[in-house]
Amino acid sequence: MSNDQSSQPDTLNSAERSTIDASVAAPVILFFGTAIFWLLFGSVFEVISAIKLVWPCFLDGCGLFTYGRTSVVSVNVLAYGWATPAAIGIGLWLTARLCRVQLARYKSLLAAGIIWNIGTFVGVAGILIGDNTSISHLNFPGYSTHILLLAFLIIAAWAIVTFNQRQSGPLYVSQWFLVAGLFSFPWLFATASQLLVWKPVQASAQPAIAAWFAGGFFNLWLAPMGLAAAFYLIPKSIGRAINSHHLSLLAFWSLLLFGAWSGTSRLIGGPLPAWMASVGVAAGVMMIIPAIAVAINLHFTLDGHYGPMSWSPALRFTITGVSMLVFTWTFSAINSIPLVNSVTNFSDITRGLNLLGYYGSFSMIAFGAIYYILPRLTGKEWPSSCLISWHFWLATTGVLLGVSTLVLGGLIQGYALQDIGVTFRSSMEFVYPFRFIAALAALLIVGANLAFALVFAGLHWSLRRPGTAPALIAVREDNSQEPVAV
Amino acid sequence: MNKLTLLFTGILLTFGSAWLGLVAYPVANLGHLQPLPNEETGGVNPPTVSGLAVIGQKVYAANGCMECHTQQVRPDPFSTDIAKQLGKRQTVPRDEIREHTPFLGEYRIGQDLSNYGARQTDVAAIHRHLYAPKSVTPWSNMPSYSYLYEYRKIVGQPSAHAVQGLTGSRAPKPGYEIVPTQQAEALVAYLLSLNQNYPLPESPEPTAK
Repeated sequence: MSNDQSSQPDTLNSAERSTIDASVAAPVILFFGTAIFWLLFGSVFEVISAIKLVWPCFLDGCGLFTYGRTSVVSVNVLAYGWATPAAIGIGLWLTARLCRVQLARYKSLLAAGIIWNIGTFVGVAGILIGDNTSISHLNFPGYSTHILLLAFLIIAAWAIVTFNQRQSGPLYVSQWFLVAGLFSFPWLFATASQLLVWKPVQASAQPAIAAWFAGGFFNLWLAPMGLAAAFYLIPKSIGRAINSHHLSLLAFWSLLLFGAWSGTSRLIGGPLPAWMASVGVAAGVMMIIPAIAVAINLHFTLDGHYGPMSWSPALRFTITGVSMLVFTWTFSAINSIPLVNSVTNFSDITRGLNLLGYYGSFSMIAFGAIYYILPRLTGKEWPSSCLISWHFWLATTGVLLGVSTLVLGGLIQGYALQDIGVTFRSSMEFVYPFRFIAALAALLIVGANLAFALVFAGLHWSLRRPGTAPALIAVREDNSQEPVAV
Repeated sequence: MNKLTLLFTGILLTFGSAWLGLVAYPVANLGHLQPLPNEETGGVNPPTVSGLAVIGQKVYAANGCMECHTQQVRPDPFSTDIAKQLGKRQTVPRDEIREHTPFLGEYRIGQDLSNYGARQTDVAAIHRHLYAPKSVTPWSNMPSYSYLYEYRKIVGQPSAHAVQGLTGSRAPKPGYEIVPTQQAEALVAYLLSLNQNYPLPESPEPTAK
């Protein structure tokens, strides 16, 4: 085990910790609460879209709910309504804790949270009334993305101030990921908005930029924020330092480099210079390096200490999420190989990989982080272990069922689309039963999100019966190292 | 890694390299492509499109057609698109210059539309397909775009633009007619303009094997 200080999370005592936590409570709760609302909203639209794919008559002939709008709403709401505010909430809390400073000017952050949600609302309404930009992961109309960027700039300004006030000492690995994520997002978002939406460049130049943005949104924004949380929560919960400083370094720099270049692997054979697709393929395949580095590093950190997963919801969700992140990058690496891509491109496998990445990995880590953070911010325990259990199992089953059926169905569909002797109609008929099961999986995920919203509401409005034990999902072992809450 | 400046410089370099390569390079080198003169017709390749088709691009975007339809023909060996007759040659950046946003698409839930206008030239058939897809192709899973049409009672003379030839349950009752709104007319004009059957030197048609 490395004794390097950058492998240790903070060394605050509990009084300092609670003062710092209290100073960030209001904005963090605002970001998490609204994120959970949008999570539920987005997953309902996901189910509507999944049903429409197998049964086009569902809500048919109504412009507001045509498939092309509902599926876009679900993708963008999960990205900007849920994932981004959840990542911001995690980022605010971790930044304050790891920089060991109390939060100043939290009212500006509250304002940022409100402005962000107004932007999301305007964006969703814009798509539904027909102002969809038709740019993947940037479908919100231009008038709403201005609002979102304004909100994020307030947050970024706050983060810069906080990092400058930090108490001296080495930067912990979570801080690297925080800096990378908080720096990448405004750059990605402002560039893509400016060049594709606000003042679009000629369409011939747009595909590469759009692919760079869609790849970067996950690999340079959500993934680093999720890993920042994981690299803090896991060592903290089991009371051990991160196994290897060098593996952390490798995971971080390889993610930044290959993640930034990997976006164009989705345009193999597309209308852009061949070297751009090639460099995307190379970087996409190399994403196996951060995947392996994260997997080995966290596994050896946890080795022999997986026990707390059985009772700690935070740890269970986070570790599941990190495992799925490793799978996401591994599958994406395989999917970037041109020979594979010639079969899988344009099939339901892309939907499967998006589900695995956005829900299976980032959202699961975010759930774990929220289970860890909120009791410490509010001084209250989670109200119901039963609901947390339901949340975990519905979410895990939903993701695994959804991803496996979309990948299997996508493979069959992909071979049918590629085979010269098979008609297009057959490709649709082959994939139909798989889409049916994928719709059921989407329904399970709504159930999971509903359970999560209920536990959040229970905690927020103190619905837990007084005097009952903390909500652990199993009996806690005596040798566990950290109290679950506060 | 103790210094914030070191960390920041590293992030700037890795992130900035990709930004230069995948954003700045295409803006500088692909952002000002011009159509090429067509000696046979005296026009240009790709041909200019009507104003109605340009409005139709917005209708295409607004209704999320891109969620199910791609618009890119990929070359061998990355695909069998050309053998499957989605187009005669690969789609290249110059093919996109007439568009506001390139609708390349990520899914083939429906057919590729790069050359839809070359396959289908019958305006009435496209209207029927948009209004009631299943009445044209019974196995289609395309949603109905009937909200782009007006179902109304015939007053005086029937409209010359009314959708003709609808049969089955989606046909208008006697005395009624289905008239495309301007959005539907624009969308059809746009779909008809989707045709890459013009030569471009950078995208030769592959010779038969």
